[in-house]
This record gives sequence, structure tokens and C-alpha cells, in this order.
Amino acid sequence: MEKLVELRGIVKRFPGVVANDRVDFELRRGEVHALLGENGAGKTTLMNILYGLYKPDEGEIYVRGRRVELKSPKDAISLGIGMVHQNFRLVESHTVLENIILGLGEDKLRIDFEKHRRRIMELAERYGWRIDPMARIWQLSAGEKQQVELLKILYRGAEILILDEPTSVLTVQETRRLFEALRRMAREGKGIIFITHKLNEVMEVSDRVTVMRKGRVVITKETRETTKAELANYMIGRPIVFGQKKVSAKLGSIVLKVIDLKVLGDRGYPAINGVSLEVRRGEILGIAGVSGNGQVELAEAIAGLRRPLAGRILLNGVDVTGMDAGKMIELGVAYIPPEGNKLGIVPGFRVVDNLFLKAYRYPPYSNNLLLNWGKMLEKAQELIEEFGIVTPSALSRTSSLSGGNIQRLILARELSGIVGGIPRLIVAAYPTKGLDIGATEFVHDLLLRYKEMGSGIIFISEDLEELLLLSDRIAVISGGRIRGVLAREEADAEKIGLLMSEAVIQAG
Amino acid sequence: MPPKIETRFGRIRVERRVGYGRLYSISMTLLSLALAFLVVALILTSLGLDPIKAFQVIFGVFTKPSLLLESIKQSIPICLAALGLSIAFKMNFWNIGAEGQIYMGMIASTGIVLLHEYYGFFYEWMIMPLMFLTSFLLGGAWCLIPGALKARLGVNEILPTLMLNYVAILIVDFLVHGPWRDPKGYGFPLSIPFPEYAKLNIVLGDPAYTGLLLSILGAAAAFFLLEYTRPGFEIKVVGQSPAVARYAGIHVRSTILLGSFLAGGLAGIGGLSIVSGIIGRLRPGASPGYGYTAIIVAALAGLNPWVIVAVSIFFGGLITAGGALQMSMGIPKAAAQMIQAVIFLMILVGEFIKRYKVTIERPRVGEE
Amino acid sequence: MIEWIESVLGLTIQVGTVYLLASLGEIYAERSGVLNLGLEGIMVMGAALSFIFTLAYGHLAAILISVIAGILMSLILAVMAVYMRLNQTVTGLALTMLGLGLSGFLASPEVRKVILLALNPSLPESLLAIQEAPKLPEIHVPLLSGIPIIGCFFRQNVLVYVSYIAAPLMWFILFKTRPGLSLRSVGENPAAADAMGINVFRVRCLATMISGGFAGLAGAYLFLGFQPFWQEGLTAGKGFIALSLVILSTWNPLRAILGAYLFGGVEVIQYRLQLFGLGALSPYLLAMLPYLAAIAALVAVSIESVRKRIGVPASLGIPYSREE
Repeated sequence: MEKLVELRGIVKRFPGVVANDRVDFELRRGEVHALLGENGAGKTTLMNILYGLYKPDEGEIYVRGRRVELKSPKDAISLGIGMVHQNFRLVESHTVLENIILGLGEDKLRIDFEKHRRRIMELAERYGWRIDPMARIWQLSAGEKQQVELLKILYRGAEILILDEPTSVLTVQETRRLFEALRRMAREGKGIIFITHKLNEVMEVSDRVTVMRKGRVVITKETRETTKAELANYMIGRPIVFGQKKVSAKLGSIVLKVIDLKVLGDRGYPAINGVSLEVRRGEILGIAGVSGNGQVELAEAIAGLRRPLAGRILLNGVDVTGMDAGKMIELGVAYIPPEGNKLGIVPGFRVVDNLFLKAYRYPPYSNNLLLNWGKMLEKAQELIEEFGIVTPSALSRTSSLSGGNIQRLILARELSGIVGGIPRLIVAAYPTKGLDIGATEFVHDLLLRYKEMGSGIIFISEDLEELLLLSDRIAVISGGRIRGVLAREEADAEKIGLLMSEAVIQAG
Repeated sequence: MPPKIETRFGRIRVERRVGYGRLYSISMTLLSLALAFLVVALILTSLGLDPIKAFQVIFGVFTKPSLLLESIKQSIPICLAALGLSIAFKMNFWNIGAEGQIYMGMIASTGIVLLHEYYGFFYEWMIMPLMFLTSFLLGGAWCLIPGALKARLGVNEILPTLMLNYVAILIVDFLVHGPWRDPKGYGFPLSIPFPEYAKLNIVLGDPAYTGLLLSILGAAAAFFLLEYTRPGFEIKVVGQSPAVARYAGIHVRSTILLGSFLAGGLAGIGGLSIVSGIIGRLRPGASPGYGYTAIIVAALAGLNPWVIVAVSIFFGGLITAGGALQMSMGIPKAAAQMIQAVIFLMILVGEFIKRYKVTIERPRVGEE
Repeated sequence: MIEWIESVLGLTIQVGTVYLLASLGEIYAERSGVLNLGLEGIMVMGAALSFIFTLAYGHLAAILISVIAGILMSLILAVMAVYMRLNQTVTGLALTMLGLGLSGFLASPEVRKVILLALNPSLPESLLAIQEAPKLPEIHVPLLSGIPIIGCFFRQNVLVYVSYIAAPLMWFILFKTRPGLSLRSVGENPAAADAMGINVFRVRCLATMISGGFAGLAGAYLFLGFQPFWQEGLTAGKGFIALSLVILSTWNPLRAILGAYLFGGVEVIQYRLQLFGLGALSPYLLAMLPYLAAIAALVAVSIESVRKRIGVPASLGIPYSREE
């Protein structure tokens, strides 16, 4: 079996971390090879090296048996390597055709639109895709956009395809379609590298799997010779126990009631299309679903950051629909935004500034117009200790903190009650995304503590295991609607998956 | 963790420098200044002018007391406008319209004087305070227009602030050629000269000292606003990220309106210092680009109010030097502006060198 | 009556061509993501240099030098804003200040004399002190210039004809050719273009130089095209108005034609009103028209764009770095 790609002894260092530590990897012709590992394991870095975006500090790259040096993606493309990134590299306002032929050296000057249009449609048909080359990218669904990305690289005759977490934005049906297309490509003799952290997918579609952890290759195995549990073990380094139940508390009165809410997304289409739910004091309501189905818009509407189009939001019985964020903060709603270190803090500010980002305007931290830094620094010191934020001082620049510590800062700000006591309602959107095991456990324990203290919590996550671990009830969201709500005892991955795909079947 | 940035421009590798000290920062700035003067010297030499004599004149501006006072006087409007800009830029509001706001301040001050002299409005002791108030208000309002356009309609502020400069200058032209022309001015487009009570010479009878006090008070006010008040905090957050500001419950729109108003107001007072302290009356072209110089000053000073005061004096000196160069060596006044621009560019380059390390990568043995 | 229309139309084209030339180049720069605030400074340099070089050598040399100077000046912006990733607004302003100062310096009587003698030692005394230069001659296109009304399009100077060809040509290149697609993609999503192997820095650098070249040309035209009399404040913000024009034309060279002539028309109205001495309406108030029109145009576009999503090139003003 011919080796399409061989990486030997790859080392790549960034300031403070070794992203790839003497990594060996190979890809055979006609195989789908999964690259498995947690966030930060080094998978994307390795593939970026193969695609010519990074230069390895040490090691060698062989393509089809010959040693090569890749100075830029251009070199990689000319060798038949194509990469589809996690966040699409597409020009939204251009057409499918324009995106596919971008950078192609074919036409001398004038673009032959007709020729390309025909060729693209033929190529799409080959893999069972229906795409209009003249459609604009912003009009397409996530699955269709991914097809465009794939067409981009196939159009250039790519034989080696690298896909980075391709299913993170797809529905169940779209994922199925993708896997079919991949297998067809493999049968044609192409080699596919499939980066993922989802064990199900590895078992379903790959021929071989390489597990990476902390920059090193742990093992490479034939997929049929291993199991999910074994792979999980390799990935994390210790056995995962699935679905362990934690504390259950007494539930109190209804803290949040959402009635038939409709919220517009950024594009002007309804992202939330008639959602009703309830959260009680001391309850954790988990929200499951593929990201991009309206979770963030729902959270923002409840937090006062997005004005609902229709419907009502009641907080402790009081109608708060349409109130702005400032008011919601005063009413005891805490919001932990997704991607906290990008959207939840000001990186250039000091730690104390970020801790008091919301509380600065309330006494005793300010009176009328003046700020009381003395009081703020005092309290900041307390918070730093209480929440275990690792920082030289409260005056350090927040950008120098690690991701996990930034999340602790955000939690300290939102949950510590520097604005009017224990929050009545906590809305947490993907609070553990990108965090390592230690930080994740810290977040879990913290939320459970507040649950015990009586806060109602909405917990949005893509990680089913996490949801099953923490939630009292799980609501499944898909296509802007709640498809079903399951109590913890009756919920499992299968039922949830079924509810998520219901929307797809209905939509046809 | 500062990311590593690689460019593939030939074999040159550009890396972000990790942590550099104050000393390094200052020495790089001085190096940039030295480079700027080198470039200027080259230009002068290529045109047959003596660069050494020119530099003697320039530095003389800071050493001779009379010229130093003149430099300080010239620095006042620059300083005040730049302080306003420090607020605007911290809010990410690119106010290129300081020049126009200065002109509006001049109009307001002159207007008050004329109201008294022509129509007997107000008492004499009220004039000075009224001048301050109206210059601030009118300058602020002039900046509020683009501010409102940005806050309510999302129009980028660069072009509107710029266009309003030209409009303000033309308003002055109109007034001074028309209704505000001094009947005893032999037909020249000038307003009446400001009477004593309207002149900026409270301290030691000299506008330079009075103005210096004004600059320092202004710097203190700007510093206090940004570091110790709620609106100042909100201005900074909005400047960093309007999205995060909204998330924190800050009203972004009102903050933009407030910030732009304050910035324009300070520039307006800068205008007052010109008609009341430097020239003593209103005439066309009363500001030789103070508002634009203020942008350079604010940028070079890193938006720090106290440094702004110092850098303003430096640039005030350059303007004075421009006049001196013209008188002693026949170098056209435009030279001062050119020198300013060269300094600006060199310091920008210096900023780049401070932040990035440029190394040339040699291929390792055995690599293709 | 027809003569009146023709003269107004002809004048509109004459005046508008400055804006057209300047904005054509700037459209390319902004389409690639670079805002060139140095436009005003480059234009005035083009004017000053064309003044000096026309006296020394003649029109052709003057035009060439202006274009080359524009390219070189914008190269400064390109290096600083694209490669060094410095703030484009600040750098562009510095460039304009440099241009304004340098041009005033070079065109001042004393310095000008030195330069002229250095370039062409055999110049007569009279030319060394003169404040104006010979205007670009009108070239009448044989058959077309005779047609009533439309004929005035063909009774212009050579640079106007250049603009007639340049606008549609640049439109074609931008939307129908491969380099144009690359340029637009760089401006919309530089990461996407980079991933496809396009050198983002090189594209932006070239686009910036194009805007500089056209700005220099516009400056030369401004001086040689209708009022070849050197004075301070010759450009009076025309470069900046061109920037508004670029936005108004939604970064489309063909729409830029309309916008440029629209602004030209506004200026012509201003002149005509002054001639008719409209009561006490001071020339100064009338002179505000172009600037106010520019602001109005910006407001109009921003209201439109909210509704129709008229694309600002998404990466305009944002330096690019391959940060992963």
C-alpha cells in the first residue's frame, strides 16, 4: 500500500509550549485516517505544517516517497494536498464559483465562467452534492459551505485531504452525507486525514486512528482493532467513567420562564423560533444541540443582549422581556459568554478592571461619578484567592493569563455576587470549551455549588457527557426550537441524538 | 502568550518581541528622532542649504528664553486639542476634525467678544468665563455631529470629521470677510482686536504662562476623567470593544456621544487660546494646522496626558523654528510641516522596530 | 441653450475627472483592504511636481513624474501599513502631512528656483519666477466632437480621455479577471485568500501603489487640466472628497464615474452661482457645498447599506497577519 504522506520526527515550538514533540505520522493511499486528541493536543498544528502554513522546527516531510519542503500553502496545493479548516475560509459575499477558482493558475487573465461552472457541477455530482455555482456563500447552510470547501480542494486535484473537525457544524444527516462522500473518495484512491475529538466518528468512518496527547503521538491503531473506551483511555491518559451522577438538590420556585420566544439572528433570520422553557431555583437545565442552532441567541436574549422579536421572558414572575443588559445584571442574571477570553473580557485591561467590568458602577465601588479603586483592589484580592486565579497581582494585564485563568476571572466576576448577591439565574454558554481537565472540573464544581445555594442555571454545551453529568433536565434544541426535554434519569446519548435529528427529518 | 508571526517575504523572518523594558522603549524613540533629523538634513543638503545652521536655529528655539516662551505659547492649542484627542482615540473614535473644532472654538470666543463690543451684552467680568464655556460647547457640538452619525448610523468618523474641518474654515472665512470684518481694518479680513479683558493673560500678564497653566489643568482633567471616573472607564471599554461594552451593560451610543463631545470641547478651548492668546483677533488661517499637529502629538505621546503636554511644547517649538528658519535662512514655512511629518513617520517606524524583531533566516545545511 | 448645456456638461467633466482619477486607484486599494488616507498628500505632490516639471521639461515628463512620485509615496504607506501592520489611518495622515509640507516646500519660489536650474540649466529667467504653467491642450476627437451635446465629451484634454478608458477597463479587470478576483478576495477575507496560496501582502502592496499612481495622476491633472496656477491649498481636500466618493460608488469603478461627475456638477453649480452673484450668498458658503455633499453621501450610503448590505470590503483598515 503506497504511502501518500510520511511525517518523521516533527517538532514545532511556540513561545512557552511544544505543540508537536517528535511526531511520526503516515497516511496510506485509499485510507481514512483519523487524528484523535483533545483540544490542544497538537493535531491542528501538525496538519498546518503538512499544509505549509507552519514550518517545523525539526523533522522531515515526505510526500509520495519524496522529501519535500513546504514554504506555503501554494507548495502544498501543488503537491495535491488540500485542507478544509474548522472555520471556513470562504469569502461570504462571493459566489461558490468565485471561491472555488480563487488562486487557480489556469485562466490567463479573463475568467471563463461557463467552463468552470460546468466543471464544478460535474464534480459535485460525482460525490452526490447539489450545489449552484452561482449561489453566494452567505446563502448556504453550514453543510453546503463545507461542500464548497471540499470542492475547492478537489477541483485542484487534491489526493491528500485534511479535514479539521468537519462535523462540528453539521447536523446528523449532513454528517452521514459527508462520510459517504469521504468513503467514495477513499475508494478512488485518495487519502484522507480526519481531525476530531469525537470517538463515535472515529469508529464509524476511519480505517486507522492516531491518538495524540500533549504534542506527542500516543499510538496508531487499525480502527477495527480497538474500542471507544480504549481510545478514550489513550486520549486522556486515564479511564473515563461515562455518566457518573453528581449532587441532586431540592428544587425551588420557578426563577425563569420563557414563553414562545422568537429571536432574530445576525443574518436577519429567526435563530430562535418559538422556544418555551422553565428553570427552577437550584436546578440545572442543560441545553443540548449542535452549536449554531440558536443557543447563543437564546442566551443573549435572556441576558438582555438581544431584543426578542416576540414572546415573553419572566424572571421570578416579573416581565423582563426586552430589558437591556444593564438592567438584567441588576436583577441578578449572570451571563458567562461563549469564548470568554475573546468576548467576555478586555484583554488589554488589568485583572481588576475586568473583574469589575460590570460592578464598577455600583456602590461601594463607585459613588456618583467617581471610582473607588481602593475598595475594588481590596475585593479583587479576595476574589483572586477565592476563585484560585493565578496572576502576579490584580494589576497585571489580563492578556498574560492562561485561558483557564481567564475563565476563572469571568466566573469570579459573574458568580461572586459583587453585583447584588448570589445570582438568581446563571446562563452559561459553553463554559468549559477549550479548557483542560483541571479547569473543567473547577467550573463543574463551582456551578454545582451555586446550584446548591439556590441559583437556577442554564447550561449550554455540545458535550453530551458533560450535560449528562451535571443537568437535572436536558432540553434538546435544534433549528431554533426545543425538540424535547428529558429528565436526567431517562436521558441518554441515543435519545438526545434522536431528538436532535428530528428537525432534520421534518425539514426534509 | 504573544503569538509568533511569520511572513514569507523572501527569507526575512519577523517575530514579535517578547517583553521590552522602558529604557529600550525610550532609546528607540530617541533613535527614531535622530533618524528623522538625518532625513531632514539630507533633504536640506540636497537643496544646497546648510543643515547644521538649520539645526542650530531649531534647537535655539528651546534654549533662548524669548523663543521658548513663544514655543510654549504655540503649544497651547496643540496641547488642548491633543488632550481631547487622547479621550477620542481611547474610545477608538478617530477624530481627524480637531482643526475644525478649534476653528469653532475661535468663532465662539470671537462671537462673545463681539456681542459685548457691538451690542453691549454681558458685563466685562463675564466675558472670559463665557468665552471658555461657549468655546467648549461649540467645539464639542462640532465633534458631536460626526459622533452622532457614528452612534446612530454607524458612519465611520474619519471622513465626516475631516470634511467638517473645511466647512469650519470656510465659516470663519465667511464671517471675517463679511459681518465680522473690522470696520477700521482697512478692508482686510480681520475681526476687531480683542480688548484687554478678553485676552488670555491672567498669569503674569503673559499668554504663555496662562496657557501653560491651562495645558496642565487640561492634562489633569483628562487624566482624572479617564482613570478615576465612571464615564472615563466606560469610554475605555467602548474603545477596546463595543461588543464587550454592551455585554457589560454600558450604553455604547451615549458613551460615544459623550466622548466625542468632550474631545471637541477641549479642542474648542484650544481655539480660544489662539484668538485670545496668540493672535489677539480672528482671521483666516488663524490655525496653521494645529489640529493636525495635535494628532501627531497624541499618537507620539501614547495618549498619555502628561506626555502630551511635553510633546506639545516640542512641536510648538518646531512651529516657532519654522518661522525662525524662514527669517534667518529663507527656508519656506512649509519646511516646518515637512519636518513634523518626517518625525512622525520615523517614530512610527520606531514603534514597529520596538514591537517586532526582524531576523534574516539562513537555510540550514542539507535543506533544499 | 445648447451651448449652455454643453458648457456646463463640459465643465462638469473637466472638474469631475480629478475625482474620477483619484477614486479609481483608491477603489483598488480599498478593495484589497487598505485605506489610503495619504491620497490628499499624494495629489498635492503630483500637482507640485507637475508644476515644476512642466516648466523644466514639458507636459509628458510632468505627468510621468507625478505618477511615479505617487507610486513611490504610496509605497511608504504600503510598507508601513501592510508589512509593518501599523495603523492605516495614522500612517495615511502622516503621509498626507508629508505630502502637503513637502509640496509646499518644493514649490516655494526659493526652492523651486534651485530645482528648476538643477533640472534644466538653460531655462530662461522668466520661467524661474513664474507662478503658472501652460495648460494641457484640448484634443478634439475628429467626428465625435462635432455632435451636439455629447460632443463636449470629446473636446477634452488627454488625461480625460485616459479616464474614459481607465474606468471601464478597471471595472473589467476587477470583476472579470483572475487578478481582480484575487484582489477582491484579499479585501473580503485575507485568511481565505492566504489559504489558497495568494500572497496577501504583495496584493495589498500593489493595490496601494496603484492608488498612489492614480492619485499622483489626479494631482497632475488638477494642476495642468484647468487652472495651472500654483497656490497654497490647491487641493483643498479634494483627495479626501475622493475617499467619500469611493464609498458612495460602493467600490465599483463604473459607479465611480457617476459619482465623480456628480461631485463635479456640485462644484460647477458652485462656480455658476458665484458668477450670477446670487444675492449676498458669499463665495465661502457656496464653497462648502462639496464637503457637505460628501458627508450627505456618506450618510446616504450607510442608511442604504443597512438595508441592502452593500459590501464594505470586510477587511478594510485591518492589518493582516497569519495568526493561528
